[in-house]
Amino acid sequence: MNQSVLSLDHVTKTYGDFTAVNDVSLVIPRGTIYGFLGPNGAGKTTTLRMILDIVKPTRGSVSILGCASALDVRHRIGYLPEEKGLYKKMKVWAIIQYFAMLKGLDRHTAKQRAWTLLEQYGLKDFAEAKVESLSKGMGQKVQVLSAVAHQPELVILDEPFSGLDPVNQGVLEELIRDMAAAGQTVIFSTHVMQHAERLCDHILLIAKGRKVFDGSIAAAKATIPRRIFIATDDEVAPLEQIAGIDQILSVEPTAGDGETSRQWQLLINEQLNPQLVLKTCFEKGIALSRFDFTEPSLHDVFMHLVGAEAKEQVFR
Amino acid sequence: MNMVRLIALREYLENVRTKGFWIGILIFPVIFTAMYFLQSALARSTPTRYYLLIDQSGQYEQAVATAIEREHQSRLLQEFVNYLLENRKEQNLELTAANASTQIDELIDEVDADAVAALDEWLDAGGLDVALTMASPYLREDAPAFEPPPSQFIAAPLPADIDPAASPEQIVQHLRPFLSGERELLVDNQRVSLFALILIPADVDAAIARPGMPPRLNDLSSGVQYWARNLTDSRLPDAIADSINSTIRTREYRNQGVDTRIVRNVQHTRIPFNRLDPTAAEGEEAVSMADTFRQFAPIGFAYLMFLSLMQSVQYLLSNTVEEKSNRIIEVLLASVTSGELMMGKLVGIGLSGLTTIAVWLLSFFLFVSLYQSTQTELISEIINIILGSELIPWFVFYYFAGYALYSGMFLAIGSLCNTLKEAQSLMMPMILIQVIPIAMMAFVVMDPNNTLVRAMSWFPLFTPYLMMNRAAADPPLIDVVGTTILLLLSIVLVLWLSGKIFRHGVLRTGQPPRFSEMLRLLRRDV
Repeated sequence: MNQSVLSLDHVTKTYGDFTAVNDVSLVIPRGTIYGFLGPNGAGKTTTLRMILDIVKPTRGSVSILGCASALDVRHRIGYLPEEKGLYKKMKVWAIIQYFAMLKGLDRHTAKQRAWTLLEQYGLKDFAEAKVESLSKGMGQKVQVLSAVAHQPELVILDEPFSGLDPVNQGVLEELIRDMAAAGQTVIFSTHVMQHAERLCDHILLIAKGRKVFDGSIAAAKATIPRRIFIATDDEVAPLEQIAGIDQILSVEPTAGDGETSRQWQLLINEQLNPQLVLKTCFEKGIALSRFDFTEPSLHDVFMHLVGAEAKEQVFR
Repeated sequence: MNMVRLIALREYLENVRTKGFWIGILIFPVIFTAMYFLQSALARSTPTRYYLLIDQSGQYEQAVATAIEREHQSRLLQEFVNYLLENRKEQNLELTAANASTQIDELIDEVDADAVAALDEWLDAGGLDVALTMASPYLREDAPAFEPPPSQFIAAPLPADIDPAASPEQIVQHLRPFLSGERELLVDNQRVSLFALILIPADVDAAIARPGMPPRLNDLSSGVQYWARNLTDSRLPDAIADSINSTIRTREYRNQGVDTRIVRNVQHTRIPFNRLDPTAAEGEEAVSMADTFRQFAPIGFAYLMFLSLMQSVQYLLSNTVEEKSNRIIEVLLASVTSGELMMGKLVGIGLSGLTTIAVWLLSFFLFVSLYQSTQTELISEIINIILGSELIPWFVFYYFAGYALYSGMFLAIGSLCNTLKEAQSLMMPMILIQVIPIAMMAFVVMDPNNTLVRAMSWFPLFTPYLMMNRAAADPPLIDVVGTTILLLLSIVLVLWLSGKIFRHGVLRTGQPPRFSEMLRLLRRDV
């Protein structure tokens, strides 16, 4: 069995003069949870729409579940669009049944699946309610369920977490993990790094339509040099002698962190043991009020890779 | 195909389950029924009207009385026919109804043709009493007794303070407050308002106009004066004028030494005048009432088509805009093709349109079978004619063709708009186009094969309406075949184009596209 469920080959989409997605190539292995990350307007939704063959790429090609067009395998795909909406007048269980039937399930199975899912994810009491009576978050949960009720091999969720409270974000994370555990491949887009960090095996970072990074979370973090933050009022020049410290940068103080001393960022190479830095500080009499060596978060990676572009994007 | 059925079913059920749909459907029969009853209630509740007759010439009191009596008798006749139809025995239904009504129809015809003579005949033959005796074998045992309607026009006594011998000007002067409603008459100790004053001056005969006389200035004070505030109810003045003229003519005959019996006989001499239909089968060429209805029936069908199509496309548009505005469309398009989605919508909404027509027809039949009277008798006769005619297949064909054509266009419009407001502005021209053939209907029925009408029938957007309108008039074969081919071709074209616009349109956000943009969309290969 082919291990990649989806591959994009130099995919580009332009609208007139505007390039929404620029030359993105990507391979997504089966059974992974894959995050599409990027600032607003980066091209995440357009990429997802091209994957689904709702819009055609201007250049490049998509291969999905072994086919050139998602339309040929649409019954094996589940999709939650970015903007959420449901038929207001339908009952909750009926709308899940309807979308499952549109994906090829028979009436009976679809109904059964609808009730099972509603019970499993805490919506059983609302099953007979009309969609219009649900809160926004509730409606969104229903829509997620209706997108995955037919147990598709590939689930594509566009911003599934937006608009959900922390409790329901947790429920959704659980659902995504359940699906991955069942061998389903999940792709979701988000700009909230914590979800991606908790859930994803792989991520795609995209900004201004260009792929900035794709690969595992660990590989993403490796793109940022190792850093040690220190705070001291003494001279830091003696540290320059340590082999393995590439650079010492002065850090602008952040308001409100309670730190009054001057702050420095030390960029260190892979071989250097941070213990050595600490030891040197003691020896040279540098009084530290802060010594901070932590793994970079995905947020740092994001800011590092696309921060400048994201800002520019916002004020464009 | 399965997906189309699924989408169609959902669209249909969603429509049919809304209150608005049923309100829209039921309002039509309800209004129809209400109007029917309102009309008969109004006819019954017209109050008794009091008139004053002052005949200073002393010659025409009888003529006015005859006129009033004739009004009463013709109303009596109508009520009597209704009574017969409502209370006849169920068995040998057609025979009784036909017999009773043909005889009475003839009588009513004669009342129209030569009122005085016919009234004489009816009264000579014994009037109502004899008619009741004649009809009694055909009535049900439990039939209630016939209640003759009350007289509608009653002569009021002259108020005590008015001198009937005074000059007409003085009389009118005195009676003005009564005529204008400021004062009321006292009749049987009840205050009633005066409906009309008929004033016949003493020298009225001097005003008689004869052929060959030099034209005279119209002097309002000469001749009979009819004073009344009500200008719309012309039954009374018409009847009185006819009756007085008739009296004067009879007198003239006598003066000329002509036997009035001969005159009456001459007036009853008639040549049979048969209107024949060359297209009918041999032996059935006579133009009956049924044939006339058959020719007018297309108007009804075209209206029905218009109403139902308007309703359907409205649903189509609002459903599409709803799906678009809350982005359900994206999920749908990830599940089914845009072609399946479009067909599903067309079929589903088409079914709701058919439901509407079915409910309308059903309620119509129900109404006709529940309330039988002369009018409904007529309506059920018309229905039988229509059901028996070749118009039904035409209607079915043009209904579906019109639906496919217009709904395709409205669907394309809906797919381009994000809000109903936007959609409505784009819809307006489409509705106006349909109003043109609808406005022409009455004219088309009278002259169905007129060159202009023929030419306009070839415009596909008009074809369903105009050809339906002309269907009963056996339009030339070339028109039927040619317009049908053109219509079918344009349906294919419209559905194909709408499919393309629909595909692009449904995922569009923001303003509806400009025309040039739309052309570009269409040109680009999808």
